[in-house]
Amino acid sequence: MCPHCHSLAVEVVTLSGRGTLYSYAILHHPQNPVFDYPVLAGLVDLEEGVRMVSNLTGVEPAEVQIGMPLVVSFEPTARDGTVPVFRPALRAPSGR
Amino acid sequence: MTPGLANTVAIAGVGNTEFSRAAGRSELQLACEAIMGALDDADLSAGDVDGLVSYTIDPVEETELVRSIGFNEITWSSRVPYGGAGSMGVLLHAASAIASGAADVVVAYRAIRARSGATRFGAAKTAPSPTSAHSGTTAMQWCMPFGLLTPASWMSLNSTRYMHQYGVSSADFGRAVVQLRAYAATNPAAWGFERPITLDDHQDSRWIAEPCIRLLDCCQETDGSVAAVMTSRERATDLSDAPVAIASASGAGLFEQEIASDHYGPDLAVMEGSVALARQLFERSGYRRDQVDVAMIYDAFSPILLMQLEALGFCEFGEAKNFIADGNLGLDGALPCNTNGGLIGEGYIHGLNLVLEAVRQLRGEAVNQVDGARTALVTASRTGAILVRD
Repeated sequence: MCPHCHSLAVEVVTLSGRGTLYSYAILHHPQNPVFDYPVLAGLVDLEEGVRMVSNLTGVEPAEVQIGMPLVVSFEPTARDGTVPVFRPALRAPSGR
Repeated sequence: MTPGLANTVAIAGVGNTEFSRAAGRSELQLACEAIMGALDDADLSAGDVDGLVSYTIDPVEETELVRSIGFNEITWSSRVPYGGAGSMGVLLHAASAIASGAADVVVAYRAIRARSGATRFGAAKTAPSPTSAHSGTTAMQWCMPFGLLTPASWMSLNSTRYMHQYGVSSADFGRAVVQLRAYAATNPAAWGFERPITLDDHQDSRWIAEPCIRLLDCCQETDGSVAAVMTSRERATDLSDAPVAIASASGAGLFEQEIASDHYGPDLAVMEGSVALARQLFERSGYRRDQVDVAMIYDAFSPILLMQLEALGFCEFGEAKNFIADGNLGLDGALPCNTNGGLIGEGYIHGLNLVLEAVRQLRGEAVNQVDGARTALVTASRTGAILVRD
């Protein structure tokens, strides 16, 4: 249910895939063999107003900065699935 | 205001097992030992108990406790959700039951083998544990697929944002930890007994989640149990010359708020649940912040200690680092805090050991005693209480 209008109408929309980095952490320990360490964890504010936990890719840990513009990238995960992760965008996202 | 609750209920006794990393016995046995200790302390017997409350994620079943300890007739029982953030909620539940007449004598307990048990609390899990239901987090769905597998990893995102927003450094967190470990160093019950640390020790400890959480910023994984017995203030006064009354107890669950994976509010540098909690506690009790003699604040990881100090209103937002650097959490400071060493220095009985320390302070029995302590604040993010002694 929509917490604002209490509507039950659900619609699937395609997002722009653009966002900015709200926060991050470089995870070192403890480790699980499923993942490569350090894990670059990001909290991404999507252009459409949704915030999500994800990973950062294509960036060195030392270069990660809060506020950096990001764009989605899809990477393989367990059981032939894909997960949305984010890499640095060449320019700032529009519309916010 | 809740005039029907304020000061009508008291903590008549507390008990605990030793805190260790390998208890060598079941959570059920640990709970039995802590509860019997609390009943002895209260000068009550098993037959007096008619109410039980614990955390939703506690593995000790009421039926097993009744059978083991020999309770006769439990008329009321309850469980508090939200994991450690709900820990002080057991005081609210018990006080509500006693004030309403639903129960006369309530035992609150938490038994845990966070190190040696089936669920090691800090482990990198890729699936929900049997006890993770009702813990108030969506992390299993939305964090685990990305390698955020632990409470430290979930809270690190908020902590990094806090550092960014207010210019806080790892060393600022370290100064809080040095204070906690100084308290623990003189507490024989503590994991950190006789092992104080320096700021260099803190800064040399390895990263768990960079740039906010080092190993020494983390609470312990502890085996043990604590229990508190509550009854009417009138009855408690007959039983003991030092009952500790509950002036106020409350909880705050806000829109979009989660436990540990609290990632979806507008400003993650502010623990809004603690802001709301403090407002409720002080308004309902009539107490003011400057009347708090000693505070117990849930320190699962050191960043949230600073964030709660600000959210609870003991300093301005962004000022906790200076408040701590000025020594205010020490015995001679403005707000002696976590005087047992906290969850970082003493051990992690999921927050409930902080209630025991508050009771001991108010009775004048603490290892690191605050002179003349009469009013204590105990909080865990979204639940809390003000405890007083006449």
